[in-house]
Amino acid sequence: MNPPDPAALRRRKANFAERHFDRLLVAPAITVLLLIGVFPLVYLLMVSFQQITMSEENRAFAGLLNYSRLFTDTRFWESVLHTLFIGAIALPLELLLGLAMAQLLLDKLPGRQVFVALLVLPTVISPIVSGATWALLFDNRFGPINQMIGWVVGHPVTILWTVKPDLVYPAILLCEVWQWTPFMFLLLLAALSNVDKSQLEAAAIDGAGFWRTFFRIVLPAIRPVLAIAILIRALDLFRVFDIIWALTKGGPGTMTETVSVFNYTQGFQQFETSYTAAASLVIVIILSVVIMVALRRMRIDR
Amino acid sequence: MNIRRIVPASIAGMLVGAAALALIGGAHAADSAAQRAVEAAKKYSGKTITIVWEAGLQSLDPLNFSGPMWEKLTGIKVKVIEVPTEEMFTKIMQEHRAGTGAYDALNVIPAWMPDLALAGALEPLDAYVDKFGYREELKEIAPTYRDNQMTFNGKIYGFPDDGDVFVMYYRKDIFGDPKTQADFKAKFKYDLAPPKTWKQFDEIGQFLTDRMSKDGVYGAAFFRQAPYAMFMFEERFRNEGGKFFDAAAMKATVNSDVGVRVFNEMRNENKFMPPGVETFGFVENLAAFAKGSTAMTISWPPYGRWTAGYGTDEKALQWVPKTQIAGKVGYALPPGGHPELAAGFDLSVASTSKNKEAAYLFIQWLNSREISTQRVQLPYTLRDPFRVNHYTDKVYLSRWPDAKDYLATLKAASESGLLDLSLLQTDKYEDALRKGITRLWAGEDAKKILDDVAKQWDDTTKAVGVEKQKAAYANWASKSGAYPK
Repeated sequence: MNPPDPAALRRRKANFAERHFDRLLVAPAITVLLLIGVFPLVYLLMVSFQQITMSEENRAFAGLLNYSRLFTDTRFWESVLHTLFIGAIALPLELLLGLAMAQLLLDKLPGRQVFVALLVLPTVISPIVSGATWALLFDNRFGPINQMIGWVVGHPVTILWTVKPDLVYPAILLCEVWQWTPFMFLLLLAALSNVDKSQLEAAAIDGAGFWRTFFRIVLPAIRPVLAIAILIRALDLFRVFDIIWALTKGGPGTMTETVSVFNYTQGFQQFETSYTAAASLVIVIILSVVIMVALRRMRIDR
Repeated sequence: MNIRRIVPASIAGMLVGAAALALIGGAHAADSAAQRAVEAAKKYSGKTITIVWEAGLQSLDPLNFSGPMWEKLTGIKVKVIEVPTEEMFTKIMQEHRAGTGAYDALNVIPAWMPDLALAGALEPLDAYVDKFGYREELKEIAPTYRDNQMTFNGKIYGFPDDGDVFVMYYRKDIFGDPKTQADFKAKFKYDLAPPKTWKQFDEIGQFLTDRMSKDGVYGAAFFRQAPYAMFMFEERFRNEGGKFFDAAAMKATVNSDVGVRVFNEMRNENKFMPPGVETFGFVENLAAFAKGSTAMTISWPPYGRWTAGYGTDEKALQWVPKTQIAGKVGYALPPGGHPELAAGFDLSVASTSKNKEAAYLFIQWLNSREISTQRVQLPYTLRDPFRVNHYTDKVYLSRWPDAKDYLATLKAASESGLLDLSLLQTDKYEDALRKGITRLWAGEDAKKILDDVAKQWDDTTKAVGVEKQKAAYANWASKSGAYPK
């Protein structure tokens, strides 16, 4: 047998590097992503089939025990419903308000930059700080909201925003919409600024009205950004925690308990580690399916 | 008496006195637990121990007083990790699970002791107690705390270090007003005095509100936020004859007629309390009482000190509403006569600590007769008397004109006090109750709420194991402060 030709070997290596150059470049990043993304997921899966609680670290295989318990746990499914409810109200509100604000500030108005900067401020505040601030604003004794309502109606009012069932959701939604509408506004302002001016001018020359121009030209143009903005906010809303924790801690009872609040309570207050792992995994699966469907529907997966 | 002058001078005196005592102890044979701890700890000079302490005022004790003093005496630095009360259990357990050894000494609410001890998070202290001769001084801790909040399964896991107990505070000037007294007697046929029963409380509260609310004064207010109201329910439920469980079947009985009645009465009482009382926490309730807007309240011991004006000129207490009722506050046991020993703190050593002995010596020194007597008089730290000598300490008795009545009431309260419910996975039971209370303020039916709470308690019992929990409950129920005797 002839010894291998070193030059041929070098060529083969060079060819391999050339052919897989792109993959070699992204390999380190992919490895890191796998380590920080896939490992916890696999570990989560593993723990969800065990029985680790506050007092016992039972790592023996427990089968589907946690999952069967989860599927009959009404509190968990109620928390999913509460999360969806908040999302279903907050997301359209944030979208519409954000779009309206962006449209309003699209024209070159005097002081526009100052307005934009001020409007964006809520988004840069930590949600837990924002929640705590709103809790103070809603406070019956010291908060200005009740005081202002009192001025309007002409006598002091006692409105228990974080106690009474018919007021807790409006309070949460107000806080949520106040904080995240500017995020929508910012993205949509950027998108609206990039709409092809010549098309808008052509539509104007052709006599198209505002709504016709908006639906026929503007909306299709901003659609990809709009879809991304909706997706980001929908995912954010699904993991909403801070504002609710600061305002109601999931109460009264479990009336405003969202999935994140449920998981935090179970996992870090009651140390139902394996059960919480199962709950988290079910949420991951549901969200993954929703995202895949959403990406397909929005046609932004490519 | 000029409290503005007395308090800073007293604190300076405490520091000098404590340092002198420690120096004497260093020079001569170590003949007290504090001195023994100091002598033994000197070999760890240069080390740092980390202690978990409740965030806020409580932490000023190790930050401003005991920590610097301990470092001066032993050369051991004290690092304080401040954690909000509601996160303390979580942080301690998380650290234990992670096994980092980040914490050396801990503040532990006694009701958590079974869970933390079973999880292996707490170091048994018996061997250290004997090694450093602390057993005799431990006997001087007030019996309620010593017998009920120190051990689990026969082992010492923590030193009771905070005599938390509920006390009723009332306005002596309002209760002593001759016209008010006469009108009250004419209406109810008994003397106006601090209520002995909840029926009397309701009558007095409504009477005073009817009479004084036009002047902005209400008959009473309580803290109603669920974490606090939970303690009030536990106290009242047992004073009225309620039992948490049927001990034989280990079935929850919190939804008994007594429970439902107590829930309904609690909600009805809100009507004669200030508007929005449902949102009152520790500070809101204190503000209302200190301002003179309420005639009665129930709370922990610091209310008594602060409404007397003791130490409220301290920088750390500038947030405390300035009292407008100093000298007008009377102290009594809450209706029923068996107040809740609500929360409290034990000093423990973390099992994962890498400096167990140094940590132990620090907590022995903190908890000792000499040092604790000074600590419970620090106006800013919320630590309340818990040793027999604290209640009769001459300096403490002279802190403000009514301090003797205050300390006598605290002593009586500690003797008849009721323990917080403490089982395996206590927080699950408490969480169900807390959530139930938020539903109560939201207006739901009391019976339905308590049925749900009972169901959740039973589910938790099943998950823990009925026999295991039954044994834990029997152990808790056998303690002197579990139910009124």
